[in-house]
Amino acid sequence: MAKQAQQQRTALLQGTLDMLILRTLLYGPSHGHQIGKHIQRTTNDFLQMQHGSLYPALHRLEQRGWVVSKWETAPDRNREFKYYRLTEKGRKQLLVEESEWKQMAEAVARVLWPAAEES
Amino acid sequence: MKWWQIRKRDADLDRELQSDLELEEGEQRERGVPAEEARYAARRAFGNTTLIREQVHEAWGWARFERFWQDIRYALRRLRRSAGFSITAVLILAIGIGATTAIFSLVNTVLLRPLPFPQSDRLVWINQQDHSLPGVVPEALSYPDYFDWRAQNHTLEGIASYSDGSATMELKGVPQRLDVRTVSSNFFDVLGAAPMLGRDFRWEEEKAGNRAVMLSYSFWQQQFGSSGDIVGRSIAMDGHSYTVAGVMPRQFMFPLDNPEPALWISIADDADGKEPPTVQRGFDGLGVFGRLRPGVTVAQAQADLSVIAGNLARQYPDNNKQYSSALVEPELAHITGDTRPALRMLSGAVSLVLLLVCANVGGLLLAHGSRRHGEFALRTAIGASRADIVRQLLIESLLVSLCGGAVGVALAFGLIRAMLRLVPQEIPRMGGAGIDGNVLLFVLVVSVAAGLLFGAFPAWRLSRSAPVGALREGARSIAGGKAQHRLQNGLVIAQTAIGMVLLIGSGLLMRSFIRILNVDPGFDSKHLLTSRIGIPPGKLKHDQHYLFYQQLLARVSALPGVEAASAGWPLPMSASHASISFNIQGRPVAKGDEPAEAAGVAMPGYFEAMRIPLIAGRFFGEQDGLAGPPTIIVNQAFVKKYFPSENPIGQHIQARIGDDVFEHPVREVVGVVGDIKGRGLTADTEPQYFLPYAQAVVTNPYLVVRTNGDPAAIQSAIASAVHELDKSVPVYQVSTMEDYLSKSAAQPRFQTFLVTCFAAIALVLAAIGLYGLLSYMVVQRTLEIGLRMALGAQRTDVLRMIVWRGLTLALIGAASGIALSVMLTRLLSGMLFHVKPTDPLTFAATAALLLLVSVAASSVPAYRAARLDPMTTLREQ
Repeated sequence: MAKQAQQQRTALLQGTLDMLILRTLLYGPSHGHQIGKHIQRTTNDFLQMQHGSLYPALHRLEQRGWVVSKWETAPDRNREFKYYRLTEKGRKQLLVEESEWKQMAEAVARVLWPAAEES
Repeated sequence: MKWWQIRKRDADLDRELQSDLELEEGEQRERGVPAEEARYAARRAFGNTTLIREQVHEAWGWARFERFWQDIRYALRRLRRSAGFSITAVLILAIGIGATTAIFSLVNTVLLRPLPFPQSDRLVWINQQDHSLPGVVPEALSYPDYFDWRAQNHTLEGIASYSDGSATMELKGVPQRLDVRTVSSNFFDVLGAAPMLGRDFRWEEEKAGNRAVMLSYSFWQQQFGSSGDIVGRSIAMDGHSYTVAGVMPRQFMFPLDNPEPALWISIADDADGKEPPTVQRGFDGLGVFGRLRPGVTVAQAQADLSVIAGNLARQYPDNNKQYSSALVEPELAHITGDTRPALRMLSGAVSLVLLLVCANVGGLLLAHGSRRHGEFALRTAIGASRADIVRQLLIESLLVSLCGGAVGVALAFGLIRAMLRLVPQEIPRMGGAGIDGNVLLFVLVVSVAAGLLFGAFPAWRLSRSAPVGALREGARSIAGGKAQHRLQNGLVIAQTAIGMVLLIGSGLLMRSFIRILNVDPGFDSKHLLTSRIGIPPGKLKHDQHYLFYQQLLARVSALPGVEAASAGWPLPMSASHASISFNIQGRPVAKGDEPAEAAGVAMPGYFEAMRIPLIAGRFFGEQDGLAGPPTIIVNQAFVKKYFPSENPIGQHIQARIGDDVFEHPVREVVGVVGDIKGRGLTADTEPQYFLPYAQAVVTNPYLVVRTNGDPAAIQSAIASAVHELDKSVPVYQVSTMEDYLSKSAAQPRFQTFLVTCFAAIALVLAAIGLYGLLSYMVVQRTLEIGLRMALGAQRTDVLRMIVWRGLTLALIGAASGIALSVMLTRLLSGMLFHVKPTDPLTFAATAALLLLVSVAASSVPAYRAARLDPMTTLREQ
């Protein structure tokens, strides 16, 4: 049962993962591990995906030109990580996706809690 | 994504994923998890690395490429494992693709390649149209007509003329006959070619007295040792002096004749004398071509020139009445026009061979593939989609066909070289045939098309195997079901039908070719040596000229081994021809309406030496000499056309041909001779008349010498007889009459040979196809056959069953082949000589041959089936 719930949540995440990554990168460049941890932390471990699944999404975003990547030495450690950085195009895309998400969430909310809408 | 970055990007991804794993591992350890467990925990939290990598590849757009590469590697492995099958398929395909490529190379070289001149699509061939004859009949132009067309047209940048000829020149002490073209001064300019050395011809070199010559590269190299200071020097030919204007580049050649002209001379030569060709409007002997102005169409040029022709026809009715319009064609189309039907036919035949090859390999693949039902069923069961299996099978067949294409190119290379040796010399531009980019592209397209074609059936069939059934029954007893049998039968029937069409085509061409060889040319060609003697025009006076030949013939006749010797013009089959107008006394017509027929001249003894039969009256004798009354001999066709109900002997005819002594006298018909095939074995006999050479010294006649033995043996004796009389005249065009006849049949021989080769390939492949199918069937039905025999069937019953099966397929194939042939052979009718495209004998003989071969091909597997031991069979199955 628990596994099924996990799968459902992951399916929901798939569509929005791109948006979450873009939003995370708004704070500044970070590498894959950081992005994964950040999403996990900020959702209070609700979205506890296998963070490896982040990478196909990251590379898809890079392919589309919404992020760029570069191997850079981490400020606190003596080793290189692949840092992803939001591009101007990515910033615009984030705005589009945010507004779409908002519209959808509102629409869904209107169906689920019609009373709240009336008051 | 660039493919060469794949490795680098992949390594990069690995590094990225690895560093994430390490970070996670570190975090786990910090939380106090033991080292060993930390690594597993990190992996669990991370997910399936292989899957992630594949998903990333998908994101990069590589997945498709990777799958494709995987398929290719897999296909290569499969093909290597069944090497026998792969090699057979590749070789069969190589034959089909190789033959197709060789023929395409001919088509490409002869028909498709543009002429080697700048903007050659604007070059047009120009002629006038003879409206006195039915149909579209082109006629060459005369100099005055050409000059008028050149001056008055509005649609062409330039019009140039050329005419054939030869000249005698002393080279290194030996008189030689050279091929020479007399060309207008703008000839090279209109073509867009310039001399590599010296200058172009000048306008004033068209006037009498300004003789100029342009050397071909090879002539300049061979005779003048590529000397740089040749320009401006004078060389002597036919007793005249010519100024060397320049040397053309090595690759320049026009007209595209064989042998190619050694040099080009200016019109000045034709402008010399009392009444030179340049002022004779009736002297229709010029080849003419032009260059269209930019944007002008062929039709516009034809309309423009037709206006001029119409005006000239009104202005000069005596000569031009029937030539009231022009004919214009693209030059390339004109040059290749005659070869088009033959090349089209060969392309069609070779396409059929390729189709048959595809059906053959398709059948092979199907039989081979049915052993793989288990494999495909398994793949389907573990999740391969139908498209995956079709793709896999198509990739396999494409690989096979591309290998076949590669081997085919090598084969075509050899075939082209063999064909060049066989090909009739009359086909222009053949020499350049070879394998170029166009041809390679063609091979690629054909290979891919063939691979898809023969791969499609098996792929479609095999991808339908239902996994459950196939896996349960096991690979061994699977026969592929009814549908596959039907498909295999269909492929064999198709092969037989195509083979039948090719065999019938080849049979018709062969019969036609035999008919051609059996044509009676009207003279006896055996033991006949012919040659020409190059006495320069103007060197000897009229009676000296005749005397020279008289003395020469006396000397040659006295040579040992010579039965008879004489001279005449034109020599049958030699491509020399003149049609000259005449009028019959008592039948007055306007000069422009006079009929014209083939004219000839003959020394006494010519008809006897050629063994042309006398029908009525007498042959020419010594009495038809300078002092005798003017006489004429006509042939049977002439009598049939002009004197159908009268006695031709004693009639009077005035021919418009003559020399400076006998201008245009009225001549008495003294004899009628048999018809001869003058223009080739397949041409109709035409009306012809002959004048005694003594009374019409118009050209150098051909020497004809009938010998007891091998005519080639007395060649040198004739040459020395000529040189005893005059050291400065060359003997040229030495050839036996048999050679002329053989050349006349060269084109049909070439076609017949190639199509027969194709038909032989087709027959063998169709037989192999049938044999393969029946062998396969016997293996599939071993159990059934064993059972039958165990239940009492005789060996002969089994034998009959299999042979009957093969014969049924062959019969259906032959019947469809005959039906197809009835439709297709009509296209051959233009190439068949006195053979109907639906010749019943050919059809029957071909069908018999095909059925015979089919029975032979069936009997081997049938015999094998009949020898099965029922006990062993039943135990093993």
